[in-house]
Amino acid sequence: MSLTIKNKTGTEKMLSVYWFVILFIVAAAVVYMTASFYGKPYDVRQIEADLLTDKVAKCISQAGYLKEEVLKPQFKDGFPGSCSINFDVEDSYGTEEQYYIELILNDFSSKEKVLEANAGNSKLKSFCDLNGEKLPFCLKRSFYVIDKGNRQYQADILSIIRKTEKNAQ
Amino acid sequence: MNLLIKHKMRKIGKRGDTNILTGNIISIILYLAFIAILLVFLFSKTGSTAVLEEKYAKQIALMIDAAEPGMVIHLNMEDAINAAEKENFLAGEIVKITGNLVSVKLKEGKGYDYSFFNDVEANANFDTLTKKEYYFVISGK
Repeated sequence: MSLTIKNKTGTEKMLSVYWFVILFIVAAAVVYMTASFYGKPYDVRQIEADLLTDKVAKCISQAGYLKEEVLKPQFKDGFPGSCSINFDVEDSYGTEEQYYIELILNDFSSKEKVLEANAGNSKLKSFCDLNGEKLPFCLKRSFYVIDKGNRQYQADILSIIRKTEKNAQ
Repeated sequence: MNLLIKHKMRKIGKRGDTNILTGNIISIILYLAFIAILLVFLFSKTGSTAVLEEKYAKQIALMIDAAEPGMVIHLNMEDAINAAEKENFLAGEIVKITGNLVSVKLKEGKGYDYSFFNDVEANANFDTLTKKEYYFVISGK
């Protein structure tokens, strides 16, 4: 009788030790996951690149038609200011520019380049073929527009956002 | 003799019950303490001012990037305002927009800055009526 009681207590003690080990493992996993999730910054570069692309697309076209001023030399000379885009950033990035935007407008039939405008840090383009979380984010979009004379164009927009220090660590 | 054994056994049984009860209570207290520590850690991480500052600075910058001149955008910032009040920081001083830079501060210190590319004039205003919102007035330059 006494032996049985002793064995029961021993088993219970063993069980509670295992319980604590399991609890500790679960807690450690939760702490690790929380720390790794909240320790990393929110990466918003994809949304930012989407918005930058949208901004340029809206700037050159309206309801599927190419805006007349896009083909004037002033547009290219004033780009990206002509699209109300400002690439100034906070001082924490140093002097390196954090954005690059490139707009190429080709005649859809002849494939002839009608317009090429770009602004920002062109060095960022070299990272677009590489894979990695800490590299600049690249987004390329194409769409078709027509002008008032029904001439068709293909617009290619390449947007690149660096800002790695505040979005990827 | 038999009576003596029975008496001893009863005593042993009673002591065993008390031990089991004490053991269980200690285990339950330890489990609860463990869970409480875990929850405190989780809440401190998710609701920390640094996380909220980053979240709102980026959210406001992206909101302005997507905005057009003439828009007024309302943003519920109740959790950030509550966090700032806990730190005795003025709710009207949380968001500042200088040029194309959004700064969010929930306590004395550096806060968090994030830039937007949309070349517009943006003004951040604390909604003194609801006291849980900020509204942003977007106008052309």
